[in-house]
Amino acid sequence: MEKDKKMNTKTTFEDALQDLEEVADKLEGGELGLDDSIKEFEKGIKLARYCQQKLEEAERKIEILQKGADGEVKPGRVAVKPDTGEIEDEEDLQGSLI
Amino acid sequence: MEEEVKPRIYTVAQINGLIKSEVENNPYLSSIWISGEVYNLTYHSSGHIYFTLKDDASSISAVFFKYANKNLKFKLEDGMKILVFGGITVFEKRGSYQLNVLSARPDGAGELQKRIEQLKKKLGDEGLFDPSRKRKLPFLPARLGIVTSPTGAAVRDIIKVALRRYSNIEIIIAPAKVQGDDAAATIAAAIKELNKPQWNIDVIIAGRGGGSFEDLMPFNEEVVIRAFAESRVPIISAVGHQIDHPLSDDAADVAAPTPSAAAELAVPVKTDLINEIEYLKTRMSNSLTNNYQSYKTALKNLITKKIFRDPYEILNSRQMLLADAENRMINQMKHRVASEREKLLRLPDIYRLQKKFLVQKKHDLELLIQNLNNLSPLNIMSRGYSVVLDRSRKLIKSVDKLKQGDTVEIKFADGAAEAVISSVIKEN
Repeated sequence: MEKDKKMNTKTTFEDALQDLEEVADKLEGGELGLDDSIKEFEKGIKLARYCQQKLEEAERKIEILQKGADGEVKPGRVAVKPDTGEIEDEEDLQGSLI
Repeated sequence: MEEEVKPRIYTVAQINGLIKSEVENNPYLSSIWISGEVYNLTYHSSGHIYFTLKDDASSISAVFFKYANKNLKFKLEDGMKILVFGGITVFEKRGSYQLNVLSARPDGAGELQKRIEQLKKKLGDEGLFDPSRKRKLPFLPARLGIVTSPTGAAVRDIIKVALRRYSNIEIIIAPAKVQGDDAAATIAAAIKELNKPQWNIDVIIAGRGGGSFEDLMPFNEEVVIRAFAESRVPIISAVGHQIDHPLSDDAADVAAPTPSAAAELAVPVKTDLINEIEYLKTRMSNSLTNNYQSYKTALKNLITKKIFRDPYEILNSRQMLLADAENRMINQMKHRVASEREKLLRLPDIYRLQKKFLVQKKHDLELLIQNLNNLSPLNIMSRGYSVVLDRSRKLIKSVDKLKQGDTVEIKFADGAAEAVISSVIKEN
């Protein structure tokens, strides 16, 4: 059996999803023995879990960059309504980097 | 009374001189703005530019001297609509007049379009629009960068669409002006800012909502095009437009017709991805179950096979084979022994010679025994001789061994007698 590509935090969601598809294809191909099927299945479950985890990695947050008096650019929070995604406070959105 | 009035006769030169004086001293004609299209354009080797300025009804010759055209920001082209500033000068010798151009600038949208075409050619020659430069957008961006006006509709549309598709996405807005003289500079600066590694941006959307052709001009400025082309982070050009797309579309990795469309291109629908993963999981477990079932069936078929049902069956047949082999082996041995015997029997001469040899040897032996018999002491004694033995039954061969009074045994052929030596007589 070929050596599995090592999964780490650098593995992209896309790569993991593609690997997962390959596992599903392989299992459906019916060429695997029972032992190998179980191994592939376990690998697939790991990949699926990794993908699901990747989907939750980002934490909803909206920021706007502002150039301070000292010339340094810093992010400021922009509040949005959770249901519609509308801006809560128009004051949040302003400025320019020059 | 009738008096003939003699008309005043002018020379041609006088008339042309008069016209020149009238025209060139006329304040309206000496500093005027005129709009028209460029025709018969000649860039002369002296550096002067000659052309005809015309509109639908009329035309006028124009000259744009080197001293005046050296600050010209764009290249004149035939058919170009321009606005010129200058004055009318008269060429007395030929009785013609021309427009002496002091400055010129493009006039209207058509001219902007031409400037864009020129820029497009220049940057295209540099390879900025090569399709090979275009990168694939990341499949799952965690951090989305937006370059647009903070006060416009575009940023709001992008946020709404992005959050609707992917509820926990992170968005960083780099504010810029999208109209006005310094718009291009702020857009370029914002793109550069989002490219800094510290913001960790996966994909940038830069653009604005729809507007007039002139409104979109910042996205046709060289500094903006270059910022798009140089962006390390994959970038989407998102300028709302109807017909003519801005050059930023050509320089970006992906072009979207509106900011909302850009957000759809950049951000995947999370529930689709979750469903996809679930679908793959189902496919996997179904396959595994099927695989298990088919092995189970195969196993079941296997254990109902004859060999497992009646294992002695195969043993019996093996035993028969073994017996058969044994029989064949014995028969073969028998056959071999018989054939060897046959071979032996086929050697009778040797057999007879051996027999004759034995008879001869037997005869020789009988003779030998006869001779031995003749030599035996018993045979000699039967002829009247006897032997004398001492007490230890040793043969006495000399009188020296005897002395008076010794008891000896005298052996005869048919018996023995004991005697005592009365005297010993030694003879020489």
